Amino acid sequence: MRVYQFRHQRARAIVATPSIEPRAGSKVRAVRELCEHAVATALGAGASYADARAVVRRSQVVGTRNRRVERLDDAETEGIGVRVLVGGAWGFACDRRLEQEGAAAAARKAVAFAQAAPGGHSRGLAAVEPAHGEFRTVVERDPFSVPLADKVDLCLRAEEALLHEDVQVTSASVRAQHEHKVFVSSEGAATDQEFVECGGGIDALASSDGITQIRSYPSAHGGSSAQAGWEFVESLALEREAPRIGEEAAALLRADPCPSGPMTVVIDAEQMELQVHESVGHPTELDRVFGTEAAYAGTSFLRPEDLGSLRYGSEHMNITADPTTPGGLGTFAFDDEGVPAAREPVVREGILSGFLTSRETAARIGSGAGGSMRADSWSRMPLVRMTNLHLEPGEGSLDDLIAGVDEGVFLQTNKSWSIDDKRLNFQFGTQIAWEIKGGRLGRMLRDATYTGQTPVFWGSLDAVAGPEEWKLAGLTNCGKGQPGQHAHVSHGASPARFRNVQVGFRA
Amino acid sequence: MNALELAERALRAAEGDEALALVQSERSGMARFAASEVHQPTLIENDVVELQIVRDGRLGIASANRTDADGLKALAIRAGEAADSAPADPDFPGLAAPAEAPSVDGFDEEAAALGAEDQARLAAAAISASELDLYGFFTSGLTGLGIASTTGLALSQELTDVAVLALAAVDGASGYAEQTGWRLGDVDPAGAAAAAAEKAKLTRGAVELEPGSYPAVLEPPAFAELLAYFGFDAFGALGLVEERSYAFGKVGRQVFDERFSLADDALDSRGLPKAFDFEGTAKQRVELVRDGVLTDVVWDRGTARRAGRESTGHAPPSSLRSWGPLAFALSVGGGEADSAEHLAETIGDGIYVTRLHYLSVVDPREGIVTGMTRDGTFRIRGGRIADPLVNLRFTVSVPQLLAELPGLTREPVLLNHNAYYDERYPTGLLSPAVATARFDVTGVGSGPGV
Repeated sequence: MRVYQFRHQRARAIVATPSIEPRAGSKVRAVRELCEHAVATALGAGASYADARAVVRRSQVVGTRNRRVERLDDAETEGIGVRVLVGGAWGFACDRRLEQEGAAAAARKAVAFAQAAPGGHSRGLAAVEPAHGEFRTVVERDPFSVPLADKVDLCLRAEEALLHEDVQVTSASVRAQHEHKVFVSSEGAATDQEFVECGGGIDALASSDGITQIRSYPSAHGGSSAQAGWEFVESLALEREAPRIGEEAAALLRADPCPSGPMTVVIDAEQMELQVHESVGHPTELDRVFGTEAAYAGTSFLRPEDLGSLRYGSEHMNITADPTTPGGLGTFAFDDEGVPAAREPVVREGILSGFLTSRETAARIGSGAGGSMRADSWSRMPLVRMTNLHLEPGEGSLDDLIAGVDEGVFLQTNKSWSIDDKRLNFQFGTQIAWEIKGGRLGRMLRDATYTGQTPVFWGSLDAVAGPEEWKLAGLTNCGKGQPGQHAHVSHGASPARFRNVQVGFRA
Repeated sequence: MNALELAERALRAAEGDEALALVQSERSGMARFAASEVHQPTLIENDVVELQIVRDGRLGIASANRTDADGLKALAIRAGEAADSAPADPDFPGLAAPAEAPSVDGFDEEAAALGAEDQARLAAAAISASELDLYGFFTSGLTGLGIASTTGLALSQELTDVAVLALAAVDGASGYAEQTGWRLGDVDPAGAAAAAAEKAKLTRGAVELEPGSYPAVLEPPAFAELLAYFGFDAFGALGLVEERSYAFGKVGRQVFDERFSLADDALDSRGLPKAFDFEGTAKQRVELVRDGVLTDVVWDRGTARRAGRESTGHAPPSSLRSWGPLAFALSVGGGEADSAEHLAETIGDGIYVTRLHYLSVVDPREGIVTGMTRDGTFRIRGGRIADPLVNLRFTVSVPQLLAELPGLTREPVLLNHNAYYDERYPTGLLSPAVATARFDVTGVGSGPGV
């Protein structure tokens, strides 16, 4: 079976005609008309701007644990969310009823909330051409056409292949999601998008003599997902990879602890993706820069005036926000403000070159037009979120990176992660590490962590492997906002090498 | 239609099957503010029906928020298909039998009646009480829970919750306060904001601290969050029966300071009371630690069957089932100190921590947790809260931190433990401030402020 990975590639047009059919037994729903009704109601109630998003989503999760079915869930949710500006103040309300009454009720409540909101309020929106268009994920095999029993069987077979005498807990999961989203704004935007996601992963947890170790594939924390059909899950080859994962989990019980101290580290693509997410993605969200996440997710060490001048890292550091990446969980034709997707540099040769913006935050800095606004459902207000954020590849192979290390460690697969409220001090742990001596991989090591300060760490980047090592991975657990919102985002990266990094937290 | 009536309708749609219907309804509003302006006001109304169908020992679950007859019929079909797709599970404990749920508090007419204008007004009260820019929210919600099953369960509860979070902050200074409860009278938005602003003023001119192990005073928000992260794994039965968690091999042993006692108590009116769990089992108070001895963990029906125990009423929502039973209502026994300032006197020299940020479990077996302090970190010198510190990276073994607690404050306070993801389900912890002999600082981060 081929190894299915989204290699490094540029955007291509994937706009197609949506194919949302009314469900059998339900009345035909003119969702766009509902959104238009909501917008008209909001304007009639006093809003100077209004938009409405109607969302219908179905998601399935199959999870097995120790060869028993742990989850077999099939969830549907639908509703409409209405966002308004009244006298410069935002209001947002939602209603689960995709009916005229629900749409109008949400609109009126959003206006009432905005009218009551305390504060000075003078908010502007960056100008954009009202968008019209459609989008549909390119799918080879509809994941909802795959019988649930086959999904259960896949998980159980993968678990069977994870078994090892030292492995205490095996688990496997697959997921699928279909979302239809219609957006209408009072400026005349009207978009219709249909997204399909799939994913899966396996874990082996070994335990003995008071030590517990875990190995995961293809990623930790629930595996990896992509905007694709079931072919993506098949390409993960969970059953084929499982024996290695089980053996590594068991071997970690007998591995030496990772040494501590400053040293050269080579970090695998998956951990690099999380490193990019936490130490570049979040700090470059412009709403954080302006403090609107201060009370929860935190702010940023960046300032608006840093754009174009702040040295974020070494010249090897090139970061791109790309909501057009094929297979990316953050891929769309239009964001949740109706702004067309565009590939933009965020860091170019180590210099801060762009922020992730909304129309409101873009207007505040007088640059850009938004394009990163996303809401996790019909019941949440859009926030500035990552789309797909990539570390651009450099040159050479992973072996080349390792060959350039006299003494150091190779770090693989995230285990723990934490970063401060301004995104400066971070500490990550990985599931497995390997000693590097004389340019070659040596013994297996456990309990590896590394820590640093964001610009110092990125400044120590001295090589990124080439396009042939570049992988795209999707995560579904990025939290932000109050009330909380999950975002599904993807990151592409190649393995990278950093010099003089503090490894370990024990002195 | 209330949550139980809707659950019973969903159950009828599954006619002919062994089934359980669970309804979660939400009517909530949150006035979220930044720089003293409401910027993300969100009103939510939703009713989610989850239907569990059991066919020959095989369980399938589906959920939807379409509650008309067609929607419920489609839901039953999907749940049935899911059940048909699962292999038979000999360890499936079956659906819960009917039992009388305890009578609990947790509903307040005043809180239930709050509307958007009220939520905005209470946010405004907080904002106007802070001398510094204020960040945070005021929120209130009405949550309805209903469970009906073919085994005879017919349970319902209406819960209210209110919370104010206040971060008073400017460049180089920030302070934090929060209040939560199920009664409107439990919170004073202006008081919380004023307290946050007072704390913020003390944080100007923060300096760095050399990494090392320090005695520390942890205010209730800091201690509660640390305990919650440790407790997700350590105090649930799944990790115990799988022989992989901190608790494995330690139940019945003295592992913490004898001044430390801990329960999970969803029945306590000082918390956010619940009558039953997501399987319909009556909530029980579970003593987890008595005088430093680890006495038990919390159980759901599945883990209880595996271990020959009874469920204690701690089944989580199905979306969190991979965690096993969860202690959603931790309650730490109080000590003898009057205040956190008195705890500072007890330890003499050390650090003082208001709040934590972005915790992550480094090693669940050893209970090692890392994270950052924020919005009020200080040096303690000569028994007094002294110079402000920048945010500190800590990486601590929670069991080691709990092994020597020179003191705890007398009165636990309720801390909100709900970030309002997914369906609203109010949870909180009752925690005092604590003094610990060992808090391991492993680095320094950014300074206070925005």
